[in-house]
Amino acid sequence: MLNHFTYFKPQTESELLEKVKSYGDDTKILAGGTDLLIYMKQGITAPKVLIDVKGISEYSKIVTASDGSISIGASVTCNEVIENECINKHFPVLVEAAKTLGSYQLRNRATVIGNICNASPAADMAGPLLVLGALVIIGNDSGGREILLKDFFIGFKKNILKVDEFVKAIKVPAYFRDAKSGYLKSSRIKGHDLGICNVAMCRVNGTLKVAVGSCAVTPVLLPDFESDRAGTKFVIEAAMNNINPISDIRSSKEYRKHMVKVFIKRLLEKGNSH
Amino acid sequence: MSKEYKYIGKGVPRIDADLKVTGQATYVGDMSFPGMLHAKMLISPHAHAKIKKIDTSKAKALDGVAAALTGEDLDYQVGLYMVDKTILAREKVRYHGEPVAAVAAETLEIAEKAVKLIEVEYEELKPLLDVEEAFNEKANLIHPNLGSYSHVQTAFFPKPGTNICHHSKIRRGDIDKGFQEADVIVEREYNNPSVQHVPMETHGAIVQWGIGDRVTIWTSAQSPFTVRNLFCHTFKLSHHQVRVIVPYVGGGFGGKAGIHLEPLVGCLSRATGGRPVKLIATRKEEYNTLPCRCGLKYKIKTGLMKDGKIVAQKLTLLWSAGAYADYAVNVTRASGYSAGGPYFYPNISTDSYTVYTNMVFGTAYRGFGHVELFWGLERHMDYCARELGIDPYEFRMKNLLKPGDITPTGEKLKDDSGDIRKCLNAAAKEIGWDGVKSEQQRIKEMQSGKVRGKGFAVLHKAPAMPTNTSSSCVIKMNENGSVILNISATDYGNGTYTPMAQIIAEEMDIPLDKIHVAYETDTDRDPYDWQTVASRFAPMGGRAVINACNDLKRKMSEVAAKVFECSPDDFIFQDEKIIHKSDPQKFIYYDKLATGYVYPNGNAIGGPLIGVGVYMAEGLTHLDKETGQGLPAFNWTYGAHAIEVEVDVETGEFTILKIASALDVGKVLNYESLKGQVIGGIIQGLGTAICERYVYDNKGRLLNNSFTDNKIPTAKDIPLEIVPIFIETPHDEGAYGARGAAEHPMISVAPAIGNALRDALGIELTEMPIRAEDVWKALKEKELVFEPATV
Repeated sequence: MLNHFTYFKPQTESELLEKVKSYGDDTKILAGGTDLLIYMKQGITAPKVLIDVKGISEYSKIVTASDGSISIGASVTCNEVIENECINKHFPVLVEAAKTLGSYQLRNRATVIGNICNASPAADMAGPLLVLGALVIIGNDSGGREILLKDFFIGFKKNILKVDEFVKAIKVPAYFRDAKSGYLKSSRIKGHDLGICNVAMCRVNGTLKVAVGSCAVTPVLLPDFESDRAGTKFVIEAAMNNINPISDIRSSKEYRKHMVKVFIKRLLEKGNSH
Repeated sequence: MSKEYKYIGKGVPRIDADLKVTGQATYVGDMSFPGMLHAKMLISPHAHAKIKKIDTSKAKALDGVAAALTGEDLDYQVGLYMVDKTILAREKVRYHGEPVAAVAAETLEIAEKAVKLIEVEYEELKPLLDVEEAFNEKANLIHPNLGSYSHVQTAFFPKPGTNICHHSKIRRGDIDKGFQEADVIVEREYNNPSVQHVPMETHGAIVQWGIGDRVTIWTSAQSPFTVRNLFCHTFKLSHHQVRVIVPYVGGGFGGKAGIHLEPLVGCLSRATGGRPVKLIATRKEEYNTLPCRCGLKYKIKTGLMKDGKIVAQKLTLLWSAGAYADYAVNVTRASGYSAGGPYFYPNISTDSYTVYTNMVFGTAYRGFGHVELFWGLERHMDYCARELGIDPYEFRMKNLLKPGDITPTGEKLKDDSGDIRKCLNAAAKEIGWDGVKSEQQRIKEMQSGKVRGKGFAVLHKAPAMPTNTSSSCVIKMNENGSVILNISATDYGNGTYTPMAQIIAEEMDIPLDKIHVAYETDTDRDPYDWQTVASRFAPMGGRAVINACNDLKRKMSEVAAKVFECSPDDFIFQDEKIIHKSDPQKFIYYDKLATGYVYPNGNAIGGPLIGVGVYMAEGLTHLDKETGQGLPAFNWTYGAHAIEVEVDVETGEFTILKIASALDVGKVLNYESLKGQVIGGIIQGLGTAICERYVYDNKGRLLNNSFTDNKIPTAKDIPLEIVPIFIETPHDEGAYGARGAAEHPMISVAPAIGNALRDALGIELTEMPIRAEDVWKALKEKELVFEPATV
């Protein structure tokens, strides 16, 4: 059962800033709530204040800038990403990954930003956003800041946000528009499951970017590969050197490693056949 | 030659579907009463521990708490067959998740807060987590008082001083001689973990222990009369004092048979002076505190002749009951007498044991042991065929039972016993079985990365029920000639009521929209029924309804005979009229008889029309303790599943392309309902086969007590094509020849997948579930796995 909490639904960003500042430590930001409410029900967290970002209209938008970059607002749901024409056309790996997150009903609530902020090593949206060089747009009292998503994850379900900070949006630079990309995920059942592991890949202007999920305490972005050096064996070796999967209830570490290898091979094959 | 029916066999839509889809059907969770309190349990964090001290004073002091109970307050023994359980743990806890205390409070929030204030001091004991270890005679005792527990002595045989709470034996022929004669002996071990029923609605009850010990129980249960009976036994109450009401139930699958939360909630109500108390299990409690399906480890040894005949079979089954015996002893018994499957054995010996372990206790689960049993048995039969170099289809056909054969318990099968051969033939044909894949072919296909395989498995099951199992019902005719049926069947998703309405429509020739089956069951209102379990309701309850219709017709005939001054035997019943056979001008509409016939002059005869029907299985016997000989089965339902699977050889992931399910149902009563049962059963069987399992750590703590890591299949996991096939060999006793078929679609799905994977890849899997990782590991052991890093 949920603890008692005070609920705010600011309508503007300045109102949000003010609430975050005044309640600080006891606050959680609520977007879709598909992770947060479960943690609250399980007693893992018991915030005194919930600040719902769904009232801020600009946060609910997917914006394409004139340079071709896209920005996904803090309350944009996974299903909204799946249905977005521009993302389907120019950043399809986000759609591929979003389709594997939870179930349709959950994706009506679950947000892309929430998935990132939860910072699970299994986060479905993390890998694709990592290989697309995504930037996290952070709001705070001192005018905000932008950091690369690869620097956002700092530990198991830990992100870099300070107490009075929140994520406004995530931005994918125009540089990655129309990049060849792909996402593969292994799970115990075909529907609604946390991944055993996942691999996201993207080729852009002679560079190959690869991210691996559920194989370390955070989602892992491998160092960039120069495309002409990136043979299957080379990429697999690099992946094995950068991940450290464990055996748990979902899978053995051996199977995780094997599946990462298979996915790398398949994504490279797919990329090469484009 | 089969009779033409107007309603029977047709795909009549569920008569209660509209209430369910509009949300108007009421479940226990929806209910609320004036002054109602909310309950919460405190559960054990240990799998095995002494309770050294327990202090509820802080909880009791909390504002809004009406009662707080511990095991010390409740000196009662409960149990289904083996009275081995207390309402809350006393002296020690035997599984992680066992309730040790409970609170009733004004709100659920206060109750949750209060249980956290209860202080318990435990002394941890070593848990027994392996059934073989617990089976060992030197093992520590989980129930040192086993010898003093009262139990059903005609059916269950505990071994005091051990952890064995029941041992079923079947002895037929001369097993040693059989093995001596055999050309080939094949032996292998199989394993199944525990799994959850996962009903959409968790267990829940509201109880009011009223003045004068008049108790009312609203509960999400399958068996209202069993709840009443066991509640009365526990508290030494007379049956007329206790009323059990079962409203709509959101799934049971066996998990809601028997008695579960009701005694605890009753005690909380009594402790508050009779306020209604409500307890709804959380999903975590459903996994961790309420019962699951038992685990099974077993060994099958088979003696074979070169020509493919089985000459001897020895089975040893170790059932892990978990902490309490509950239904596990009866699962052990039923799977014991069914353990051979639908095959003929000149010599057979079966030992089926129920063993206490320190894990969540097991109960009835769709299939009642047969899903677990058939996993190994049907994997084993493929293995036997292979060892002999015979096609597994031919091997089965050589050994399957037929009328005239004697079963392992000594039952002689008759023409109405059903036709297992037709089932296997139909299922195998549907997937185009044309023999096992050669190793050459397999290696060739592997190059493409995807390999297909075909497999099948047969099944049988009879209802596991007491020898005096019965149903009864009352049909009341209303003023306008419509009828209401009172019958104590529960519908927990199985569509129980619709065929009952079809039967009345058929027998009385009344349109379906003038028939109401009183959905919710109420032991004060409705006549006795054993339980809605064991796939026995439609064939047996249906007979009671036919008998009630006949009773009603007889009473109508008696009145009409007076009116027309003829014999009561002269009538037929058609279009809501009772009509004279030879003079159709002489008829009376039902509504003119419903509350008594009135002559033109005002004289009245007859009176309100009520039909009463009972049906009881006859001729069943207890089984001999030493040999298991006797007649345990009302009827056998035979069936077979056949599957085509496609495997990704790099990942071990597989897709079920097609599954055909052929069941000899005797007679289809409602085609759509039955099809629904088959599809649902197959998917549940698939869950057991591919992903479901309880996982414990080395201290006996359940690691996956939520949907996060205790997975069940979703819509995306459904096989691409499901083909239900119904064979109709009528059964003499069942309504219109029908047999039960509710559990059967779930049985033998797993071994059919296992056999198909064997066909595809040549891998030998003996443990359920079969995860992609397991397929990969098996391939790796065969050194067939693709290693991407090496290319």
